Amino acid sequence: MDELSLKNTFKKAYHPKLLVLACAVLEREISKFQNGQVKFKFFDYGLHRTPENMSKALQVEIDQASEEDYDGIILGYGLCSNGIVGIHSQKKRLIIPRIHDCISLFLGSPESYHEQAKQHPGTYYLTPGWIEKGETPISKFNSYAQSYDEETARWVLHEEMKNYTRILLINTGVCEIEPYQKIARQNAEFLDISYQEVHGSRGLFRALVNGPWEKDFLIIERGHSIQQEMFLDL
Amino acid sequence: MIHREKKINSVRIPSEFGEGGIEIALGQLQEAVVMRDCQGVKKLTERMVTAGVDLFKILNQGLIPGMLEASERFRKGKFFIPELLMSSRALKIGLNILRPLIQEIRKDVLGKVVIGTVKFDLHDIGKNLVIILLEGNGFEIIDLGIDVSPEKFVTALEKNEAQILAMSSLLTSTMSWMKFTIELLHASGMHRRVKTMVGGAPVTPIFAKNIGADAYCREATSAPAEAKRLLGI
Repeated sequence: MDELSLKNTFKKAYHPKLLVLACAVLEREISKFQNGQVKFKFFDYGLHRTPENMSKALQVEIDQASEEDYDGIILGYGLCSNGIVGIHSQKKRLIIPRIHDCISLFLGSPESYHEQAKQHPGTYYLTPGWIEKGETPISKFNSYAQSYDEETARWVLHEEMKNYTRILLINTGVCEIEPYQKIARQNAEFLDISYQEVHGSRGLFRALVNGPWEKDFLIIERGHSIQQEMFLDL
Repeated sequence: MIHREKKINSVRIPSEFGEGGIEIALGQLQEAVVMRDCQGVKKLTERMVTAGVDLFKILNQGLIPGMLEASERFRKGKFFIPELLMSSRALKIGLNILRPLIQEIRKDVLGKVVIGTVKFDLHDIGKNLVIILLEGNGFEIIDLGIDVSPEKFVTALEKNEAQILAMSSLLTSTMSWMKFTIELLHASGMHRRVKTMVGGAPVTPIFAKNIGADAYCREATSAPAEAKRLLGI
């Protein structure tokens, strides 16, 4: 039995040495599961906008880590607009949640994400992490208004946001939520759309770092690469 | 010099631009689209139209390459949403000048296209760009908007007797609806007279092939050529 299988069997007794490469937007939640044997490395949250750069940045790190004594490499990413497609390791196993993007992680399962999206396709999701990174409609507007005149900034924001009908703040319980509630509400008012809150879960984060890696995870064997089909239910 | 101008006039190449001048003007038009210069696009397009430059040359060697360059910059992270939207807006100004003139020459529409963003997906920047481009090229568009169910697509295709179904998605979580829509098209028997084309950031050529789409568009600017190919034009 190799070490990763051992880990699944004796999960309370044994912690393999793992490297976690994750998006910075997950830092608050995922860091809670430090067990002394895990090394975290966080990447710029903006990589999801340029999927080609995401895979390049992660591959460099994976190749470097191949020479070290990690038992496996965990990717704190979803399919993320194909940003992780093609990633591979000749020497280490890769573990990745089988999810489209980080919203499933914050909500605790792909099913809860699907349920939210089904009921309100026009949902703009916010978490404390996303708010801190400035990924809110108001922050976007302010940044557009710095580069362009106010009328243009308004037009761009309208074009970008016109189909959203709700802001949903996900509270994963990692910090005081009040300041983020205030900002999320202000954003809903700014767009004149509804505002709701939901309690997230840290269950998927916990499983990502500590296992067991069951139905919501993909284990990519050495020499294999991550493919888009692995994430799709066709 | 006089002799050369006469010769140029005889083949309807405008003397205003002189030898090589059209190429320079087309390059400027491309640049104006990339740089989101609406006034520049308007002036250059009007100047070239007035001078008698071939309308499809203005379209295919000026406006569309400009938009393609803007899309590439967006893909590489050099442009963001505002730049992409503003380039689309500049492109639309040029196309609005060309469209009525192209219609005068063609009289008939090239074909009818039913287009929409798939179920549970509300991203329409790319889809709207495809609409501008297809209309500019002489297609008639039936835009179903966003969050379009397979049933709604199929009903619209039937009602409008359209030849092409164009679907867009921006999310890997919604792109499977392209497959479900194509399946319904087959179940209804309409696949025999309707061609399908798909696109959107997460859509790959392999995915398009696997779901049985007839055409894949890597970027919005390739949509007119793909649509023409599907109809054998």
